[in-house]
Amino acid sequence: MSSGLDSFLAGAPWPQRIGLRVLLALARRPRGALLLARVPLAEQAAFSTLVLGRYDDPAVAGALGWDAAAVVARGRALRRAEGRP
Amino acid sequence: MTVSERIDADFCVIGAGAGGAVVAAELAEGGASVVVLEQGPAHDPDSFSARPPEMLARLYRDGGQTATLGSPPILLPLGRGLGGTTLVNSGTCFRTPPRLLARWAAEFGLELDEASMRPCFERVERALSVSEVTPELAGANAAVARRGAERLGWSHGYLRRNARGCVGSGVCVFGCPTSAKQHTGITYIPRARAAGAQIVTGADVREILLERARASGVVARLANGQALEVRAPEVVIACGAIHTPLLLERNRLGGASGQRGRNLSLHPATAAFALMDEVVDMARGVPQSFYVDEFASEGIMLEGVAGPPAYAAMSLPLAGERHARAMAHYPRLAQFGLMVSDHSRGRVRSLAGRPLIRYDLCSEDLARFRAGLARLHELFLAAGAREVYLPLSEGVPPERARAADLTLMAFHPLGSARADARATHGVVDGDLAVHGVAGVHVADGSVVPSALGVNPQLTIMALATRLAFRLLGREVPGESHGSGPGRHHQDDEEAACHS
Repeated sequence: MSSGLDSFLAGAPWPQRIGLRVLLALARRPRGALLLARVPLAEQAAFSTLVLGRYDDPAVAGALGWDAAAVVARGRALRRAEGRP
Repeated sequence: MTVSERIDADFCVIGAGAGGAVVAAELAEGGASVVVLEQGPAHDPDSFSARPPEMLARLYRDGGQTATLGSPPILLPLGRGLGGTTLVNSGTCFRTPPRLLARWAAEFGLELDEASMRPCFERVERALSVSEVTPELAGANAAVARRGAERLGWSHGYLRRNARGCVGSGVCVFGCPTSAKQHTGITYIPRARAAGAQIVTGADVREILLERARASGVVARLANGQALEVRAPEVVIACGAIHTPLLLERNRLGGASGQRGRNLSLHPATAAFALMDEVVDMARGVPQSFYVDEFASEGIMLEGVAGPPAYAAMSLPLAGERHARAMAHYPRLAQFGLMVSDHSRGRVRSLAGRPLIRYDLCSEDLARFRAGLARLHELFLAAGAREVYLPLSEGVPPERARAADLTLMAFHPLGSARADARATHGVVDGDLAVHGVAGVHVADGSVVPSALGVNPQLTIMALATRLAFRLLGREVPGESHGSGPGRHHQDDEEAACHS
């Protein structure tokens, strides 16, 4: 699990944190995924969380044209150059 | 709690978001001694990474996973830290629709009207550098919606935002990396500090001190576990519509009317995606830069929304192979949002010190979503979309959607400590003073007595400005008496349905 996704999960209130960890564990296993498919809301929560982590990966995002590091670097340069907070 | 430090002040402001920061700066610049207690941290923009999961965890309460209980469950993202939710909102600025001010005067006995509020709005707009987004900065995602709206003849426009020197980084809601967004953490808080206010972060207010039914101070637990007591005869609570009623409840304040924590209004929202022929690159430009207000009189507002791939992947209403195929075309995906001015009303209560938010979507609001989703579909088709992805269970057309079929988020919680001149009907009076106690005021979205239908930060800040000047015993300095740049959005008159 990426560190970003891990901190995202860690930030959740404890009932959701535990729930999401269980759902993610299920979603990663074929039999668990079948079980989840019976509960659309849970399946959706697990899937959304998984793809949040997957597409946050710089290599995956970069292939789609998004370079977070470049956005941040441009922001820093602008703030320094213009004396922004 | 053993108090380890004491500070004396004229005013203690709890919360440093849209309401608290404004009150603090205006009071401090007016010559008062002010202490601001903020539960969250001060955020260093150098630590903003433009990566959604990490920023959700750092900038939002509960990692952005605060949720309502009800049908359907709804995510309700709230900011945390200096700037509050203004740090993580899209920066959209609307004045309070004049018809609502008139309604609040008639229905809740509030002495508010367009003329008296105008100086407050102008003062806030100047402080926040509010201006309209240019088409170039709005980017291709807005251009798609504009093309659709023009072909359909729907009323539309570019939004006004609190930004200065924006270059369209596309991550307003994940921490602006250029500090272009003029949130209160970089506008009003520095002004308050420069005028002598003490800003204390990591301060969790536990107790409001009273002496003979009058405020005398506040006790907060600090991050290091020690207790701080601020002795002040005036306390301004600005913790937001979810946490203000909890603080009032814990201190047994504002409960006589039975309205504390009730009347919670949200702007439930959702968004659709479309696969276009052209490259959109939705995260290049201002995500929320364009609106379609053709259906505002029905309580339906269409506003731009967009973000980087991780955000899009999380909100794209597809699964499995279809999701992967659509995401492979991320550069050609467009997104647009739908926000409902709700009639549903929820309730906030405390469960073991945490907010328990109950909110059920009523049938009128469900009908608005059905209509709104059909129009989003129409908008994208008119813009030339190859495919449209609506946020509904697979195979469910908008007109047959049930609440359980909708994937919703909500923004702009309001009304949970509503203002009403009558102590029997509201938590605070027309001057935002808590009924039944002297020296305790509320300056956040919880006092707004009904849904706004538009983004509320200007309303909250203008009300906070008005409160600060009233506490100083002065008039808000007058500005021009022109018509002002407020939107002439027609809001509907509503009869709330309570959950």
